[in-house]
Amino acid sequence: MKDNVKSGALTEVTFFILLALYEPKHGYAIMQFIDEKTGGRLVLGAGSLYGALNTLTDKGWIEPYGESGGRTKEYVITDAGREIAEKELLRLRELTATAATIMGK
Amino acid sequence: MSIVKRRYFAGFLGSQTKWLNSMAAKGYRLTETGKLKYVFDECTPGQYIYTVEYVGDRSLEDEENYKAFLEDMGYRVFYKNLNLDYSLGKVTFRPWADRGGRISTLGTTYNKELLIVEKENDGTPFDLHTEKEDRIEYYSRLSYPWYFAVFLALLLALIYWPNVFPTALCGGLAIFFALPIIVMALRIRKIKKESKLEE
Repeated sequence: MKDNVKSGALTEVTFFILLALYEPKHGYAIMQFIDEKTGGRLVLGAGSLYGALNTLTDKGWIEPYGESGGRTKEYVITDAGREIAEKELLRLRELTATAATIMGK
Repeated sequence: MSIVKRRYFAGFLGSQTKWLNSMAAKGYRLTETGKLKYVFDECTPGQYIYTVEYVGDRSLEDEENYKAFLEDMGYRVFYKNLNLDYSLGKVTFRPWADRGGRISTLGTTYNKELLIVEKENDGTPFDLHTEKEDRIEYYSRLSYPWYFAVFLALLLALIYWPNVFPTALCGGLAIFFALPIIVMALRIRKIKKESKLEE
């Protein structure tokens, strides 16, 4: 997951995980969310998702949600994660606006 | 009806995966693993699909978390040993493990270096690592123990020098241990090449 923090560009997987976690979810639900929102285009392996969740937790963009007593671990986006996701939305809007102007669409 | 098969695949994860999938295709589902032992129950042919993952460089906590995570995904997960060792009270040092090496003992991650993961066969490939960087990292991690093995073999070759036979034997072993490193390096190169093409 090579997110470019300086430019604000996130990988598609990172952005989708952050979006999925606006509501708390466990791993399987995140996978289902990505599958549903991309119509099955973006397939994320469980090992890659596990690594991504750990990386995003280390970055402070997401955090474990609720008591850890239950077996299934849930995650939720943090304030820092929301800020990153909002910046990415702005970047994508600027990009699509520029593209639309140039392409006359 | 259960059947018991005895096999040893050492570090050849691909061969182990292929064999488990060929058993599943014949209608045998894995139910238990031992050092050499694989126990299967009859099932519908092709109902399940398997993959084998190396986790020997993870801490006990991370290994257990990862196993629980995969089980939450709806997969069945079995621990499997990478090496054959029948001694008790075993302690081993894994210098290739993360953060400058790791001590492994019986009761922790010793004899739990591999995970065999099973899912219902839905016709899609069973890849745990789908992201480019994650796959590169995984293949790199798979190479580290072999680097250590090559180093040890070369060290032994140096110690035995100039005795021709043991030196040649250790040198040959070093070449044999280097083969998986070359395979992983080629896989990493292929991923990098593919990602350049995608750009």
